[in-house]
Amino acid sequence: MNEALCLQYVKTTAGLLQLPLCDAQATRVALHLQRTAAMARLLDSAGLTAHDELVEIFCPAPFPAVDPTLDSAGPSR
Amino acid sequence: MSAVMNPYHDAAHMAEAVRQGEVSARELVTASLARIEATDASVNAFTCQTQARAFAEADAVDARRSALVKQGHGQAQLRDALGPLAGVPYAVKNLYDIAGEVTVAGSVINRSHPPAKADAFLVKQLKTAGAVLVGALNMDEYAYGFTTENTHYGPCHNPHDLTRLSGGSSGGSGAAVAAGQVPVSLGSDTNGSIRVPSSLCGVWGLKPTFGRLSRRGTYPFVHSIDHLGPIANSVAGLALAYDALQGPDALDPGCHALRVQPVAAMPAGVKGLRLGALNGYFDDHASAAAREVVALAASTLGTTASVHWPDAGLARAAAFIITASEGGSLHLDDLRTQLAAFEPLSVDRFVAGALQPADWYLRAQRFRRIYRDRIHALFADWDVLITAATPVSAPLIGTEWLDINGTQQPCRAAMGLLTQPISFAGCPVVTAPMWPTNTGGMPLGLQIIAAPWREDLAFAVARQLSDAGVAHVKLAAC
Repeated sequence: MNEALCLQYVKTTAGLLQLPLCDAQATRVALHLQRTAAMARLLDSAGLTAHDELVEIFCPAPFPAVDPTLDSAGPSR
Repeated sequence: MSAVMNPYHDAAHMAEAVRQGEVSARELVTASLARIEATDASVNAFTCQTQARAFAEADAVDARRSALVKQGHGQAQLRDALGPLAGVPYAVKNLYDIAGEVTVAGSVINRSHPPAKADAFLVKQLKTAGAVLVGALNMDEYAYGFTTENTHYGPCHNPHDLTRLSGGSSGGSGAAVAAGQVPVSLGSDTNGSIRVPSSLCGVWGLKPTFGRLSRRGTYPFVHSIDHLGPIANSVAGLALAYDALQGPDALDPGCHALRVQPVAAMPAGVKGLRLGALNGYFDDHASAAAREVVALAASTLGTTASVHWPDAGLARAAAFIITASEGGSLHLDDLRTQLAAFEPLSVDRFVAGALQPADWYLRAQRFRRIYRDRIHALFADWDVLITAATPVSAPLIGTEWLDINGTQQPCRAAMGLLTQPISFAGCPVVTAPMWPTNTGGMPLGLQIIAAPWREDLAFAVARQLSDAGVAHVKLAAC
């Protein structure tokens, strides 16, 4: 997305969402969005397939059924 | 000032002194408030003090102790009855609900909200543990920042050098502990907001496993990444506070812990732990000082292992996109109607986040699932991994750009470069205060990272570094 296209996108979508941006702020927002677009392009390399579903309400791992910290005198390994 | 009233004594020492009758909870609160009075004009950590409540809570602790002593109860019973944090003063980031106070979350917009009807879940937990709330702390507006350069309430200053950043978004929480105003504080961490101020202010911080502590009664930022946790002036105090904060909460859909797993009473020692230092992305974004603290910690722990953390750059990108999108959506109504009332330093990011295409957000959330699997696989081979918490020590307030290994980075975003990939995986992290040699006396923290639900292992390493004297809090100059 080049600068002009990004600014056009910002102005159009801001209108859709009823956000009252002046020209100067729309330009600053477009700059932010261009940086984020570069990050979004990084994710294109993640190798997602059609079967990679959304994460649920994020849980980093199941809560342990047994407490491993109670297994030994020191920190359990 | 008696020895126990030294503002740099830790929570464990203070609570023990209260139980022993060496000092009263009221005296501790009085000392804390006096320290705030003496230092906060220059530090600007506090946005509100709860003096009346603090004295009432302290007097309740003292009265309870007197009654128990009269009844002939011993020290063990006193500990159970008074709580592990009896009389310990603490303060909370101003996005925690405090009954009767407005939860401003660093904004002016929220000033029009009604006062909170009840304390946040974690404030209740600390009250039950005997701790005494003295006030609410400065932060980046709605937690969207790493610097606490809050335009509405003024910047929070680093107690070790008042011209420098405290870090953020829990800047007040880090600075209040570093300034000796309170031995314990509470913060929140979405992308690094406990770890960055802990690093820049030279204090201990814990970002627990995502889902470990209830977030109920706090003002949200990014529902799918928000964590809460403590900051303290000792690793023992950090562990005591963490244990007191734990407890399942079925009313927070993001609270996955089903029972308490205490760490404070666990013995020190890292024998048998598989330890390593992160390389690649984490080296690339670390200054010489940041690499120095990692090298010192690795040497102290007796490891030379160098470990690759998968997809760190992608994880940062995904965390950035999700943060912007959820943050922008959360505040969309106010962005429509009160745009000019937002923090100038973050309002454009909120707007940009609200305008992001759905594809970016969905792709980031889908990536998070496979990223989690890769991090689980990593921890099949390792117990604890270390890396710096910030690329550099505290920059000057107002710094716009940083040079990190020859690359110009926007300062306010770059402070989270090393923390974002870790919190996106939900791993627990203890931040240890360390003091590299060429930073003009300024600290730079170390992240001690474990697999989800293994805070105990991160604390074991933290204790080792504390016992070895390489990680510790220093008296601030403020």
